[in-house]
Amino acid sequence: MNVLESAAPNSRPVPVRWSQNPKADSVSSEVARVSAELRETISRLFGRSLHIRTIDTGSCASCESEIRLLTAPHYDLHRLGLFFTPAPRHADCLLVTGPGALAMDHALQATYEAMPDPKIVVTVGACALGGVFVPDRFTHGGVGRLLPIDVVIPGCPPSPLALLQGLLVGVDRLHASINPDRFRFSGASRP
Amino acid sequence: MTGPLTTEPRRVDLEAVLRELPGSPEPTTQPGALGRRLELAQLKRAAQLLGASRGARLADMFVLPSAPAEAGGDGGLTLHLVFGLDQDRRYLLLQAPLSGRSYAAISEVAPACFVEECEIFELWGIKPTGGHPLNRVLLAPGADSAPPLRSGSPGAPRSRRGVPTEVRAPHVVRGEAFEFPVGPVRGVGQESLYMGLVTTGEEVLDAYLAWFHKHRGIEHQVVGMDPEMALFRVERCEGPGAVGNGLAFARAVESASGIVVPAGAERTRLVALELERLYNHAAAMAALCQSTGLGVGQAQVEIILENFLRLNAAVFGHRYLFGVVAVGGVRRGCDGATLSEGLSALCASVRQIGSALLGTNSFVDRLEAAGVVDAEAAARLGLVGPVARGSGADLDVRRDHPWSAGDSHSGLEVATAVNGDVLSRLQVMLQEVDESERLIHRWLQSGELIDVADALPTPAGPAPERGERRGLGWCESVRGEALSWVQLDHDGKVAGARLRPASVRNWRAFDDALRSRNVFTDVAIIEASFWLTVAGFAR
Ligand code: SF4
Repeated sequence: MNVLESAAPNSRPVPVRWSQNPKADSVSSEVARVSAELRETISRLFGRSLHIRTIDTGSCASCESEIRLLTAPHYDLHRLGLFFTPAPRHADCLLVTGPGALAMDHALQATYEAMPDPKIVVTVGACALGGVFVPDRFTHGGVGRLLPIDVVIPGCPPSPLALLQGLLVGVDRLHASINPDRFRFSGASRP
Repeated sequence: MTGPLTTEPRRVDLEAVLRELPGSPEPTTQPGALGRRLELAQLKRAAQLLGASRGARLADMFVLPSAPAEAGGDGGLTLHLVFGLDQDRRYLLLQAPLSGRSYAAISEVAPACFVEECEIFELWGIKPTGGHPLNRVLLAPGADSAPPLRSGSPGAPRSRRGVPTEVRAPHVVRGEAFEFPVGPVRGVGQESLYMGLVTTGEEVLDAYLAWFHKHRGIEHQVVGMDPEMALFRVERCEGPGAVGNGLAFARAVESASGIVVPAGAERTRLVALELERLYNHAAAMAALCQSTGLGVGQAQVEIILENFLRLNAAVFGHRYLFGVVAVGGVRRGCDGATLSEGLSALCASVRQIGSALLGTNSFVDRLEAAGVVDAEAAARLGLVGPVARGSGADLDVRRDHPWSAGDSHSGLEVATAVNGDVLSRLQVMLQEVDESERLIHRWLQSGELIDVADALPTPAGPAPERGERRGLGWCESVRGEALSWVQLDHDGKVAGARLRPASVRNWRAFDDALRSRNVFTDVAIIEASFWLTVAGFAR
């Protein structure tokens, strides 16, 4: 399995190398070396593979329908190295639909927080962008203020093709957003 | 041998019931609907009378602000009951001004409206007296702070931020059983819904559903809007039912303002409605294959589904047919040549795969006796659409409540099945595909449809009246009877609206279906066969 093999060096714990290197001034060069290795591995990993979790914050169900069709034979997401995962803990990308119904706040935050860094948020559809609902007592009118958004896919609903393009932009974005230094500290927050 | 027993449904002697009904006839009635105004205290008795006459089906119940001119005056509220008098091809609307914060529970005599009573309490703070303890339906727990109803506005949902102290209703589960929580974030590409499955391990003994996570308050958002603008939101309350719900709403507005839709425009939007039925039935079949683990069948049906959506886009310009229906007609014509070219092949492949599926024993075994809703439950809960027809209810609004005199659906054969299980619902859907294809071909041949190249006809009818106007609209959407009630103010803006997509009705039978000796893996199968949307319920 490609993914598993290439995942192995990535999961080798960095602190081991730190402890093998008592000299402080050599740490930075070691970090640079490990970072380069990480960057290379992750670019290989994410360049062609992305695991996606979806969340519905009050959509009309058409965006969901289009998302489901991504795995249908016409589009077949899997052949591109993109996979849906039911577990947010395995997800690199969160696809958000709907205008952010207030009652989904907690579930949305919990899902986002359960995803490991680095992660990207891709909003799907006009609702999530704020084009259908206005902020009121029922919805936030969009999810822009709830999460840091990396990619927006407009459309009502965006066709599966538009979703694919958005996801490809997302993969690049995720790749570009990976700063190796972040892996030195656990819990580093995103820019 | 004796002949088959025919149970002739007892005809309602409507006139007798109406004579006995308290209250006074409402003057502003429309073709196909009667109105009656009565006292709040008389409402329960009226519901009981109608319920006993067996031909009346409680279709909806809701509260809206009274028009200023009405009794009760400014800021008052009116309770509405809508009955479908299906054999008499009419709806009956009972209106009673609310005087206090309560009314006698109607669900005691008409159990179908229990969900509506819960909604009314959550949104308006008006409580039924007697009856069952209320459930959580549209607003999350902790949202009870309904403000005084000065401007006739509904209760406020919970504060914007913060973790709800309670994410599900406090259910008491006894003995060995426990509540297995699923949701609100469920499988990939599924709508948010909380399902509390009560189980001792494998069999689903009971289920609690919470739809409130997706509530968007569309009925309240459209107040003050132009009807056209409101229609944009109404279509988006349930995307895979956009034409059905949009059509019911547009018809309500048209009947309120006296707009007469040209015959060609009416036919054209009916074509869109049947196309919506076709792609939804294909989608339900794909979901059935997926939930039974039939990967090949799923892939094949998904190819058909995608092709239906592409046909929609080619014919009407939108994959989900948004924006086809307009108040007064259609917003765009249809490409008849493309439609007649593509339709037959697609319907033929649905038939082919349908018969292949029905010949696959491992598939049929999963469907048989799963998710049973019996005829009694279907009638008691006021179910509509393929779910009701799968349980033997012979109800189709296209036939029973023709919208206009020049009826487009003559000779419609209403598909029914008797077992009320998942298989019955699939059989109903497959037969409906044939009917829809037949209808569309007939309309195409009639040459009356508005083509994309044609100029859109302007709606006829008298100049829109001034003053407050009201209207009821209906149609047979994909999931069954869709209803809409609209009140327009002096300027023609929406003063009050009620949307009743079919999903609002049919979800209430979902827990009954789950209780009929099913295991966990049946839940997805039953959900696919109901083919409802949470969005439609939590509009
Ligand atoms: S963006 Fe459009 S299609 Fe998507 S959920 Fe919103 S209303 Fe529905």
